[in-house]
Amino acid sequence: MGSLRFLRALGAYGYFVWDCTRFTLRYGTRWERVILETYRVGIRALPILLVMAVFVGTNVAIQGYTAFATLGAGNMVGMFVSMAGVRELCPLLAGVMVAAKTGTELAAQLAVMRTREQIDALEVMAVNPHAELVAPSFFAVVIALPLLTLVGLATSLASAYAVAVYQLGVSPGEYSDYVWSNISRLDLINALVKSMVYGVVISTVSGFFGFFSEKGPEGVGRATNHAVVTMCIVCITATYLLTAIFYG
Amino acid sequence: MADPTPGAAPIIRFEGVRKAFGEQVVLEDLSVELAAGETSVIMGPSGVGKSVFLKLLVGLLPPDTGQIHVFDVDVTRAREPELRSVRKRLGMLFQDGALFDSMSVAENVAFPLRRHTRKRDPEIRDIVADKLERVGLPGVQEKMPSELSGGMRRRVGLARAIVLDPEIVLFDEPTSGLDPITSDAIDRLIGRMKGELGITFVVISHDIVGSFRIADRIGMLYNGRLIAFGTPDQVRHSEDPVLRRFLGRNLQLPPLPAERASEQP
Repeated sequence: MGSLRFLRALGAYGYFVWDCTRFTLRYGTRWERVILETYRVGIRALPILLVMAVFVGTNVAIQGYTAFATLGAGNMVGMFVSMAGVRELCPLLAGVMVAAKTGTELAAQLAVMRTREQIDALEVMAVNPHAELVAPSFFAVVIALPLLTLVGLATSLASAYAVAVYQLGVSPGEYSDYVWSNISRLDLINALVKSMVYGVVISTVSGFFGFFSEKGPEGVGRATNHAVVTMCIVCITATYLLTAIFYG
Repeated sequence: MADPTPGAAPIIRFEGVRKAFGEQVVLEDLSVELAAGETSVIMGPSGVGKSVFLKLLVGLLPPDTGQIHVFDVDVTRAREPELRSVRKRLGMLFQDGALFDSMSVAENVAFPLRRHTRKRDPEIRDIVADKLERVGLPGVQEKMPSELSGGMRRRVGLARAIVLDPEIVLFDEPTSGLDPITSDAIDRLIGRMKGELGITFVVISHDIVGSFRIADRIGMLYNGRLIAFGTPDQVRHSEDPVLRRFLGRNLQLPPLPAERASEQP
């Protein structure tokens, strides 16, 4: 029974994504809205992302240093920072922040619009709600997340540098050498592809739960809740699959 | 049914429509024709599928069986572009107005114009001002929907519904949840607009007094079926026991047509 319901929801999600794609291709979207949304997605997630990226940089540096120091190679901390931060932590962190800020907001906003019959009103006014409401957020998140990921990467590397050099006594040259020799083009492509996949997941999953929300305040709460849980599960699963594809 | 054949040509036609949600049958074998230029009111107690009737009419829900013709287009089989062209020719007032919260009143009313016409800003401003004046709300352009009362939101919703000069306007419970004085004002507004615009109105309501005041034809939905459809007088004098009971809840029956005429502003 449970698996049947899951398959039905999966089918409905697939159909929703298909509708969003074909109606956006047919009717286009409002690019001025996309630009505004991209700016808002970026600005909203940026402060918390910076704090988290600093945290990642500093903690990974200390953990890496401690682990390598037992082997007598504490100066290799830069390698640990670049591998853990660039390949996995920064893209996922940016994704989680955008999911928490923009994803939940999109789900709640669409759910309220469903409750107040505003989505029906759009349809009756012959305006396609997929192209009108979901598409701008989709493009905004898919554009903003890779940029946020790059900002997160730079911040975490810089904060790790500060800890490694000023606190742990690693020489600046050694830190930089180990960082740059361990960041390949593949690592950057991996980080950007991951963040774009998170963007697709976040916008379509939160859009789906908001769009088909039950009416009333409970429906809005449930839609937001389901969106967050599903986004997290799908993003983490996608992370594993992408890591396996890129490095497996 | 008291009188299934209205005088004027039908603009909306339901033929053998059935709609069920799971086990619950909401509409069963519903056939009715709504005439162009008339105000048809579909009454019924809460939860009998009145809103479903409207959603079927605009193609928001598909029926299980039957056909629904609007402007001679079968909306149950129409493809998306065809459905859009039907929808552009009708306006709908939703229960609480369904205004977009992030837009001002003026932006809400102008929304269909911006999406479906190439009119320039000054012209759009003039049309918005005109429509707001028609619904008795001049000068509220810059207000946000959250600053408006329930009655005002519905008036703005009505201004938006008529902004493309539609041939049919649909009303979903236009007075539900409003105080009697505001309800009365909305009923009068609907009556006045019908006189001014001469278009087809379809109203879903459980407000007996208001329905009799504005209707040319009244239908009564009960247990998924249309148990009566005719002029207000025909319905008023119907012997149907359910209808008598529904109307009897209102101890003072609605005013007679002669009184109604003298009440018009």
